[in-house]
Amino acid sequence: MFFRTVGMIALSVLVACTGQIGQSDDSRGPGGGGPPAVDPLLAMESGARRLTQAELDNTLRDLLGEDTAPAARLLNEDEFRPFDNDYTIQQASDALITSLEVLAKEVAERALNDPTRRAELVPCTPASDGDEQCFRDFLDAFLPRALRRPVTPEDIDAYLPLLAFASEDNAVVDNDFYTAVELAVSAAIQDPELLYRIEEGTPGSEPGLLELDGYEIANRISYLLWATMPDDALFAAAGSGALDTPDGRRAEALRMLDDPKARGQLHRFHAMWLGYRSIPHTPELVAAFNRETSALIDRVVLDEPGSYTRLFTMEETFVDDALADHYGLPRPDGGEGWVSYEGTGRAGILGHGTLLAAFSKFEDTSPTQRGILVRTRLMCEDVPRPPPDVDADQPPQGAMDALCKYDRYAEHRDQSSSCAGCHSLVDPIGFGLENFDIAGRYREHDDGLPECIIEGFGEIVGIGEFSGPGELSELLVENDYVDACAVQQFMTFALGRETTDYEAALLQELTESFRAGNHDFKAFIVDFIASDRFARRAEERL
Amino acid sequence: MAMKIKRRAILRGMAGAAVSLPLLECMLPAKQSAAQTPPARYAILFAGQALGGDNYAKNSSRVDGQNITEGGHYIADTSYGRGYSLTTPLLPLQAMQNDFTMISNLAIPFNANSTDGSAVPAAGAYRDFHGGGSSPLLSGTRSTSAEYVCNGITSDQAIAELNAGQTTHKSLVVRAQPAFYVSGYSFAGRQYISYGPGGGRSARIEAQASPQVAFQSLFTGFVPDDDDDAARFDFEMRARRSVLDLVLEKRAKLVNNVGQADRERLERHFDEIRDLETRISALPPVASGQCMAPADPGADPPIGGDHSGGGSGSVTPGSGYSDEHTRSRIFADLIHMAFVCDLTRAASLQITAFQSHMNARPIADGLGTLAGTVRPSRWASVGGDLHEVGHNGDPNNRGQIPSAGLLQWHISHYAYLIDKLRNTPEAGGNVLDNSMIVFTAEAGHGLQLNDGSSQNQTHSVENMVMLLAGRAGGFEPGEHINGNRAHPATALITAMQAAGYTGNTLGDVSL
Repeated sequence: MFFRTVGMIALSVLVACTGQIGQSDDSRGPGGGGPPAVDPLLAMESGARRLTQAELDNTLRDLLGEDTAPAARLLNEDEFRPFDNDYTIQQASDALITSLEVLAKEVAERALNDPTRRAELVPCTPASDGDEQCFRDFLDAFLPRALRRPVTPEDIDAYLPLLAFASEDNAVVDNDFYTAVELAVSAAIQDPELLYRIEEGTPGSEPGLLELDGYEIANRISYLLWATMPDDALFAAAGSGALDTPDGRRAEALRMLDDPKARGQLHRFHAMWLGYRSIPHTPELVAAFNRETSALIDRVVLDEPGSYTRLFTMEETFVDDALADHYGLPRPDGGEGWVSYEGTGRAGILGHGTLLAAFSKFEDTSPTQRGILVRTRLMCEDVPRPPPDVDADQPPQGAMDALCKYDRYAEHRDQSSSCAGCHSLVDPIGFGLENFDIAGRYREHDDGLPECIIEGFGEIVGIGEFSGPGELSELLVENDYVDACAVQQFMTFALGRETTDYEAALLQELTESFRAGNHDFKAFIVDFIASDRFARRAEERL
Repeated sequence: MAMKIKRRAILRGMAGAAVSLPLLECMLPAKQSAAQTPPARYAILFAGQALGGDNYAKNSSRVDGQNITEGGHYIADTSYGRGYSLTTPLLPLQAMQNDFTMISNLAIPFNANSTDGSAVPAAGAYRDFHGGGSSPLLSGTRSTSAEYVCNGITSDQAIAELNAGQTTHKSLVVRAQPAFYVSGYSFAGRQYISYGPGGGRSARIEAQASPQVAFQSLFTGFVPDDDDDAARFDFEMRARRSVLDLVLEKRAKLVNNVGQADRERLERHFDEIRDLETRISALPPVASGQCMAPADPGADPPIGGDHSGGGSGSVTPGSGYSDEHTRSRIFADLIHMAFVCDLTRAASLQITAFQSHMNARPIADGLGTLAGTVRPSRWASVGGDLHEVGHNGDPNNRGQIPSAGLLQWHISHYAYLIDKLRNTPEAGGNVLDNSMIVFTAEAGHGLQLNDGSSQNQTHSVENMVMLLAGRAGGFEPGEHINGNRAHPATALITAMQAAGYTGNTLGDVSL
């Protein structure tokens, strides 16, 4: 992991009251932790990545029109670290394979039972149940999309034995041509080439460096920007060789960023990064919060390209009447739109209900957890695990029955206790946000306790003092934290694994170019895709 | 009778068509002998909670804002021997008191003088709860870090190894809590209670969390009685095998063209497909006697989102909860019938994950209404999640009674399974006579593992309790036994031996 160094580590610390931080590091990491074979500035290590639940559901939607999110229902939950795509911890299991077989059968059956979808899948009318030519026509159209690469005659021939199930003269089975099609679809869904992104590459300029082919590059771009399979235009670009050039990749990336699927992916990336992918509120409120945050992301990344730091400093927010009422903001013109934050102490995404609900304890805010959110997700620092002899699942014991929350945290502040060392890194950040409850509403006292006045003063120790989300955001932006951290988080997401210490120079270079480009996040993403290193990979070392 | 002959012919035909049948030869005699001497089965059920609440002694609680001093709620708060009075968590077992034994006062050792991973004693716990407790509890092997990982084989898998090749499914590993429920984090190892030989990350066994998939995996191999249905079934099974064979044939081409790391990933994937292919190529189980496919459980209950609250409002039902009650019951049904049909002889059911963040309120609200549960005389709904309940997350409902009520809900699934097994006749007795069914919670209640000094803590590996039900191997249940601080793995070894295990050790622990 590449983290800025946090001072005062060697202290006895208590940093969590829910014991969720410092999760076991069960990642093998790429290359088993040793130095990579190839300079990361040239090419980054990568391995075969199994599609996440979300990616598989999107892929089946685009491939077959499947809209029931079967992977979310039938496969085990992905681990969020914080992203769902860490391939270094993926491990095939009996549970996975069994679920995939059930899923494949179910999806294939549904696709063939729907006349419209069936017609899209099979471009010909079979002359007989065992019509080999029509079956080949179907495979010619379907297989390259399912496997996301051009197919060989051998690939096609491998499926022909399934035709026997179409032509079999069986008195009790209602089999016909489409029986074979259904089986072929089921087989394709269970094919590791569909389920994984396997990149073979061809040997490049030095040992361990591999150049990707156009289709491998197309898959990289597609799953990064869309979380799904390439569309016809991207396949065409792969086939024409366009993706082998920086300009060709740039053109496709720009085209694809205009597609709504790119918006969805940007929303997903931020939700996982900032921990608000599922938050503790009613579906209606969650939807309103997500509309608000998504509108801001769309605006600062895609609709009004410019500095990405506006994600944190934007002085207005997108609400409907109900959400405006919820926050106590003026209602927007026309029932939905942007309203000013002026005089509220809010700015940007940290003023949103999404972020203010994230990292809460279930029924109230946790200053410690919010501090951890800021340190780990926005400053990319490593907050040390509490020492083992501290029970981090319990609230501070010294004054646990004190009425007011600030008093209950006295032990964390007590410099004579072992807690203060690390809690001083996180709690003061959270207390600076205490005026905002887990539904993002302003409050002057602890919920239901008028006698507990919230001061709302916060501090990032060593950086500066603040009060509320607006001033906190300003500190983070002006001290160059969020841009470097956003780059690191984006790379973690793009690589499908944590970045390593060996990649520090790479992250540094990327951050500098992000800054040189005035923090234009869209341009940063496009430049990354256009770069030579995007079209290469380094073999993992064992 | 003519119908039967035809059906057998189909079975023969299927076996003949299968490409590789390593299981077949050993299965035939097992099937035939099953009628005479039923095999011993073993299952372990796991609850991701402690036996009490932080800072509350065994007889103290707060319910609805009222402090209460009252015994009978701590699970082992009663006399030893036979005829002891059942406590709040054990109430679902009322009619089954002679079918299970409770071993209490079990303890995992730890080093009181050091928190260093290398200083953990044999079979001991690393001084960081929760993670440090899992390996010694389930595998009898010491933990050396806070990671949720068992460093040795777990009891259920030791029994699975013992019976390897004897049944279609080596083991049945299932989990009722399908989601972690806390935004921004994830299970990170809390979802594993079964580990194969050697233990460690690579030996962990992913549980099936979909009841529907588990059902299909176990019971779509049954040949229907009706001739036409049997013919359709035959067609379907041939098709399934052809599809899997088609995928398997790509193995060499794919794994030979990638680097070593990817080769290992893909080979593991192909190995699992091959195992599935082998399973469905083996002679399908034949429903007979008590063995019959259970009713299709239908679509899985929807997976609940994160907890729903609002400001300081309470967590409400319907979120952070995926109907773990129904899911647990379906899994218990599947374990029951898998045992009856001898589809497997080893099972594990993780009802809730380690450090479970399942919303406790639907359970708390439903106690006494949810089938098989009994509402304690003093009871009020508990806010927060299962984990927070133990840590006094609800200011008005804390301590022994709230924890005991939620533990009772876990035990209700155990009782349900035991009841089904004992009501299923087998070889002159019933299936429970040939089974060992273990229940364990994640934690005990006592001295805190982390600081080594606080008393009445949930983060404790002292005062742990195991329930052992069944009469396999001549085990005679019905007592409450004082474990006198024996290691909990000794209870597991006892159960394993009853289920046919000939060794006397599990991990670092010997009996």
